[in-house]
Amino acid sequence: MGKGAFYPRLAVSNIRKNGKFYLPYLLTCIATVAMFYIMAFIASNPGLSQMQGANTITAMMGFGTVVIGIFAVIILFYTNSFLIKRRKKELGLYNILGMEKRHIAKAMFFETIYVTVISLIGGLLVGILFSKLVFMLLYRLLDFTVPLGFSISWQAVIMTLVLFCAIFILILLFNLFQIKLSKPIELLYGGNSGEREPKTKWPLVVIGILTLGGGYFLALYIKSPTVAIGMFFIAVILVIIGTYFLFTAGSIAWLKMLRRNKKYYYQPRHFSSVSGMLYRMKQNAAGLASICILCTMVLVMVSTTVCMYIGVEDALNMVYPRNVQIYLYECQDEAYPQLTGIVEEETAKYNLTAEDMVSFQYYQEEDDWNRSLFIGDKMAKALTGEIPGYKGQEYPSNAYIGFNLPGSDGAPPLLLDAIRNRLTTELAGQYDTYESETRGLMADSVYSLYGGFLFLGMFLGLLFLMATVLIIYYKQISEGYDDKQRFEIMQKVGMSRGETKSFVRSQILTVFFLPLVVAVVHIVFAFKIITKLLAMLNLTDISLFISCTGITILAFAIIYGLVYMLTARAYYRIVS
Amino acid sequence: MTLLEVKNIKKIYSTRFGGNKVQALTNVSFSVEQGEYIAIMGESGSGKTTLLNIIASLDKPSSGEVVLSGKSIVTISEQQISAFRRDNLGFVFQDFNLLDNFSVEDNIYLPLVLAGKSYDEMNERILPITQQLGITDILAKFPYEVSGGQKQRTAVARALITKPQLVLADEPTGALDSHASDGLLRLFDEINAAGQTILLVTHSVKAASHAKRILFLRDGEVFHQLYRASQTQEQMYQKISDTLSVIATGGEHHG
Ligand SMILES: Nc1ncnc2c1ncn2[C@@H]1O[C@H](COP(=O)(O)OP(=O)(O)O)[C@@H](O)[C@H]1O
Ligand SMILES: [Mg+2]
Repeated sequence: MGKGAFYPRLAVSNIRKNGKFYLPYLLTCIATVAMFYIMAFIASNPGLSQMQGANTITAMMGFGTVVIGIFAVIILFYTNSFLIKRRKKELGLYNILGMEKRHIAKAMFFETIYVTVISLIGGLLVGILFSKLVFMLLYRLLDFTVPLGFSISWQAVIMTLVLFCAIFILILLFNLFQIKLSKPIELLYGGNSGEREPKTKWPLVVIGILTLGGGYFLALYIKSPTVAIGMFFIAVILVIIGTYFLFTAGSIAWLKMLRRNKKYYYQPRHFSSVSGMLYRMKQNAAGLASICILCTMVLVMVSTTVCMYIGVEDALNMVYPRNVQIYLYECQDEAYPQLTGIVEEETAKYNLTAEDMVSFQYYQEEDDWNRSLFIGDKMAKALTGEIPGYKGQEYPSNAYIGFNLPGSDGAPPLLLDAIRNRLTTELAGQYDTYESETRGLMADSVYSLYGGFLFLGMFLGLLFLMATVLIIYYKQISEGYDDKQRFEIMQKVGMSRGETKSFVRSQILTVFFLPLVVAVVHIVFAFKIITKLLAMLNLTDISLFISCTGITILAFAIIYGLVYMLTARAYYRIVS
Repeated sequence: MTLLEVKNIKKIYSTRFGGNKVQALTNVSFSVEQGEYIAIMGESGSGKTTLLNIIASLDKPSSGEVVLSGKSIVTISEQQISAFRRDNLGFVFQDFNLLDNFSVEDNIYLPLVLAGKSYDEMNERILPITQQLGITDILAKFPYEVSGGQKQRTAVARALITKPQLVLADEPTGALDSHASDGLLRLFDEINAAGQTILLVTHSVKAASHAKRILFLRDGEVFHQLYRASQTQEQMYQKISDTLSVIATGGEHHG
């Protein structure tokens, strides 16, 4: 065997030896590459640009591509940092055994090459295979017929290659830099350095409480829907900041308070967990906060998009109580009685009969931001006769006529033109603007919009879920190695196996479910503002939203629970 | 009064895949009287740690019996063994085995907390011990903030705070410099003088020379034993060295 082959072989054996860490890392890389490719494939698909609402969909998918790209950078760097931290010891050993840093760098270089090649080939294969499936799903959601054929988007392939090669090169540079900076002795102890007792940072705790409280307050007390969107984003940012600060500084302050309470602290049940968590929190609080934010995002995203998609029909029914609707703004009272006659005559010319015809006059308030919402509310009452012959307070008011044509959710454009022409000639000067709309056209674009949202929500939800699962897995596994020694000592000093098991369980349970519980709390507080935002999209079915959220949380909790069980088992195997 | 009786202990380690078996202990028997200070000596790999782990009920012998105060510890059930260990035995290990996330004080409390003792009681017990060991002023510190000698004193305090019948020490001076070692060994002398039974396992002649009786372990058996009686520590040191060189040259058993 030539000398040249040494480093490649060493790299392979390194990857094998660190399988517990490398395997999930490789899987993540492959999954991220695949998801990025699929999104880029969809965004660049020419078929998409030929549909109704193509601009929005393309923009949405483009946005999705960017999100996945950014996310890929974050998640790969994060998992790599776990990997490199665990491996510092091994590298330090090589270093002490006489391997120079540049030799380590060489081995590292080959490792990166392997990882890159495996991830790109694996990821692109998976991506190409699944792209068709995902594409079909998207078309179904958008309510389009699925085109035949199978294609590969070279543009997407190139984008994927460029992005991920760049990420892997950056990661390699980062790792090399880490090795260059470190001293062998630090490399050797790198696996468990930085375990100092954390300090309580009260200012951060206070900031955390204030920002979180502020975010919750905004979410609860914003009345006007107009400012809801802007405020929603401010609230989100405040809550994110608050979550980070409270998880990092707040948890430590809280645990130290518990520790100061001697009666509480010096109990077998609390002694180990309080100090264990304290020790853990310093390194893991940020990770837990990230998990919490990710969970919240996934839950909000999936539940709202599902709710929007399911609620499309209702929303349409609300805006379109009749399939064809004509508005005359600032229509004078004398003109109003002639309207229905004109419409009936014109439809008759097309051998059609206008069914379920309704007409009324109404007044629109100046500052009403959304006409359809206003009409939705008032019109529903007008239609049910709750406000007989509804008419607004001030002159001039607007006129509405709605009707259905049999066997259609719209009307022939020529018919609408004819009606319009008659109105312009016969009622000239008696109204300000004419407007007509049909349910059919609207339904297409709403379905493609909400279908796009749902697709994006599910796709990103899946990505975030994967990230969550991964972060938790890495956290627990690497903690397992740290905890192994702790539990061994405890057992030597007189802790029984049963006690160890229950300590382990309660500690993992806390670490696992704290983020989820906080995420659910976030959602409870966000509930009101989200229903407001949905109302702007004409989704007023709050019970539908409650059940969507509930089911999403449940589904998420089940997946989460499964990951918990798998991880807990792996963890316990390490510890005992 | 006999505190500990070790009868015909045998220990065979078999590797997981049933392959080669290692006979760590062939047949070990001895007994320890209340208040004794015994050192078990042997080369690396002679089975000292194995023997200590069996006495500590951390491991089970392949055959044989260990009796502590008339009670066979080999047959104690898994559920009761931790409580038994906690109540009757104190440990000092070569690598200290302190928990980094506990302060020195909490490390010392650990076995008492596990035993469910109240804070007031623990607090009462700790002061006399830490004063004797000279670590009262580092109680609030964390293990990574104190020296090796202080760490080992902390471990000793942790072993003593449960008022165990028997203190077991595995190479307690192994990770200490000679100054810290001397300090620790003097402490053991004092503790023993106060009535504490100590069983020490070591390959250091210096450490062994402090004991009142020394057992030599070779090929998994007690090969020889020395009593200190009225000899000075220096004399003992010499005698131990002589014995070791006899063992090393493969001399015959002369007990
Ligand atoms: N868990 C184990 N599995 C297999 N063999 C072991 C195990 N522990 C110790 N041994 C073997 O038993 C023998 C005695 O080991 P040990 O009791 O650690 O010796 P000492 O403490 O005197 O150095 C050695 O040959 C060692 O390799
Ligand atoms: Mg040993």
